[in-house]
Amino acid sequence: MPVYAPRMDVDYPPQAQEFRARVKAFLGEHLPPGWTGMGGVPMGEREQFRRQWRRTLGEHSMLAVSWPTQYGGAGLTLLEQVVLAEEFALAGAPQGSENDSFGIGMLGNTLIHLGTEEQKAHYLPRILSGEQRWCQGYSEPEAGSDLAGVRTSAVLDGDEWVINGQKTWTSAGHLADHIFLLARTDPDAPKHRGITFLLVPMDQPGVEVRPIRNLAGYSLFNEVFLTDARTAAHEVVGEVHDGWRVAMALLGFERGVTATTDAIRFRAELDRLFALARERGLTSDARIRDRLAWCHSRVEVMRFRGLQALTRSLAGARPGPESAISKIIWSEYAQAYTELAMEILGPEALVPTGQATGGLLQMPEAGTENSPLSWVETFMSARAGTIYAGSSQIQRNIIGEVLLGLPKEPRLDAGPFRELAQSRG
Amino acid sequence: MFFAHDRDQEEFRTSLRRFLADKSPLGEVRRASGTGAGYDPGLWRQMSQQLGLPGLHLPEEHGGSGTGLLEPAIVLEETGRALTSSPYAAGLLASLAVQRFGSADAQAELLPGIASGELVVTLATTELGSPVGLRGLQTTATSRGDSVALSGRKVLVEHGHTADVLLVSATGPDAGPTGARLYVVRGDAPGLVRTRSEALDLTRPVAQVDLDATPADALGEAGDLSPLVDLWCALLASGMVGGIGACLDMTVAYAKDRYQFNRPIGSFQAVKHRCAEMLVALDGARAAAQYAVFAADQGSPELATVAPLAKAEAAEAYTFAAGWTVQLLGGIGFTWEQDAHLYLRRAWADSGLLGGPAAQRARLADALGI
Repeated sequence: MPVYAPRMDVDYPPQAQEFRARVKAFLGEHLPPGWTGMGGVPMGEREQFRRQWRRTLGEHSMLAVSWPTQYGGAGLTLLEQVVLAEEFALAGAPQGSENDSFGIGMLGNTLIHLGTEEQKAHYLPRILSGEQRWCQGYSEPEAGSDLAGVRTSAVLDGDEWVINGQKTWTSAGHLADHIFLLARTDPDAPKHRGITFLLVPMDQPGVEVRPIRNLAGYSLFNEVFLTDARTAAHEVVGEVHDGWRVAMALLGFERGVTATTDAIRFRAELDRLFALARERGLTSDARIRDRLAWCHSRVEVMRFRGLQALTRSLAGARPGPESAISKIIWSEYAQAYTELAMEILGPEALVPTGQATGGLLQMPEAGTENSPLSWVETFMSARAGTIYAGSSQIQRNIIGEVLLGLPKEPRLDAGPFRELAQSRG
Repeated sequence: MFFAHDRDQEEFRTSLRRFLADKSPLGEVRRASGTGAGYDPGLWRQMSQQLGLPGLHLPEEHGGSGTGLLEPAIVLEETGRALTSSPYAAGLLASLAVQRFGSADAQAELLPGIASGELVVTLATTELGSPVGLRGLQTTATSRGDSVALSGRKVLVEHGHTADVLLVSATGPDAGPTGARLYVVRGDAPGLVRTRSEALDLTRPVAQVDLDATPADALGEAGDLSPLVDLWCALLASGMVGGIGACLDMTVAYAKDRYQFNRPIGSFQAVKHRCAEMLVALDGARAAAQYAVFAADQGSPELATVAPLAKAEAAEAYTFAAGWTVQLLGGIGFTWEQDAHLYLRRAWADSGLLGGPAAQRARLADALGI
């Protein structure tokens, strides 16, 4: 029997830890004194703080950390990006503006891989400077889980595309001045093959943005109405009619940088929850205690899975369908721990008081007061996690069909898209 | 930074899985479990002499290979997947207790036999009134000159009816901080009555052990037994992960193969989504078990929290998966001939051993200071 030397090791290498110290020093130097997180910044001052903070990040090469330096990015290694994301999460400091996840994270990386030299030269500096603020135009009223069913049409008219249709759930659309969108350019092709990925300016008469109020009372996403909106013929990423492939590739540019940050952010939330229970004398209640320990367990599972995912990423693997498992774990946990908060609050949840969150997508800003209102808003907002970015039902299809190899359901959507679109409604 | 099994470990897993599929298919597991001993001594000889499994983690001076705990956890995963009946887990736990608490003499006396597979040693720590085995023990140790006499009843003692040596926990004046201490009892000691139990789990023989002024020797110094319980929890979690994988594979294979309404039933979301949930449960349990074993291997103080949480996570995942395996196999899953119930039994036996998820989370809450 040969000797197997265990190699498991969860410590980061010294270079990464040196980089961590530099990030910590940067945060210590540039965050305002007494910083507890964005939640500690008064609501009226958050927008200004974000703008200022983004400028500071830009000046110190802490923005666009995933881009190569030739495009103005920080050119960090994967592990450095991970460390940076961890330290920002621990400090509760934003890594950019609301539009940066679309502009820098999604579009920027897509252009770097699939864009023309002209597109890179034109767009990347403008995304980085903040001159352009981007949003994503994917979902439509008739194309939610079935994203390839987009009906928004784009027709070439001379050297311009003319775009008609409606996008919805457009996060940060009200803050954006540009939208990358999927439009149907060949309705006679099967539905995945007649789509084009277009770059469209929003400051034109044919684009109207209307906010949607979510069930927690906040307007974080929008409807975008496109009525003879125009963009130049060359504003296509990838090939015409090949937008589905571009959209799928875009998902693949996520390199697993945030593998370890969910656990950090949910840990901070768990500390708030423990404090909430403690303040109300409920930690000795056997049922509450059991559920608090359960919450701790789930956050630990996220940490362990994060270490596994990071290990795979460092070995060169791109996040694949197994990210469907992560999505289900965190989004369902988000509902469970906020439901526990509701139970801990009891009657306090029914007429909730204290600081509001200002709206949230996954969890409230770090430093948010441990108020009943913040918990009620977090609880209400947690319903979104199992719906957006692929509902839990779609994630289970992916897990079943891709990871387990179970057969797909018989398809009813073969053939030209034009006929499909007519066959219902 | 590397939180995964390395290539050697994966190759080890693959070859072990092949070995068990060949030598210990479920039909053979059923046969061996039904014998008086409850396992196949021939297979155990191959596992120990040919593969060197029981000594993997033990130091070379005691006849082992000195691997650490990651490889034994792989053995537990694979034997948990195959439901192989053998004294492997019992010996592993006993050896860890000897290493932790035993004097140099005790180690020299017991470890080489465990490493070679010739000496079957097992822990006898569980009592009906003390499932975790740390508090409220009724078994007592009384000094008799140089020696000690034990009286009481232990249950769920793995291979307790055939073991050569039992490590029995008892309370007494010299029992240590948590009120329990381990004692070495020979299988042929006077006043020792051992009866194999009619157990829920058909594939892991357990015994009731009655001691009546049975002579025993203290296993080294008194000490806190809770790290031993934590090690056990971490290793049980590994075994459960293997079982969950077997349940999922069995169910997915059936869902692809079984046609109703002219479609494989796995194409229906009602079935597909349950399989997906089983994989989600497996994935979380595997991560938790892997980390707990890693912490155990490192001797990390984190073990006190990650072991009970891994045990609870794995238990909930396994009982979920085994229950749905029976359900998704339909009528055939409810028969004695089909193997699903063997996993359902093991799932609940593993879940209950050392205390179920609620008991583990209570330990976790204590350790966290909630």
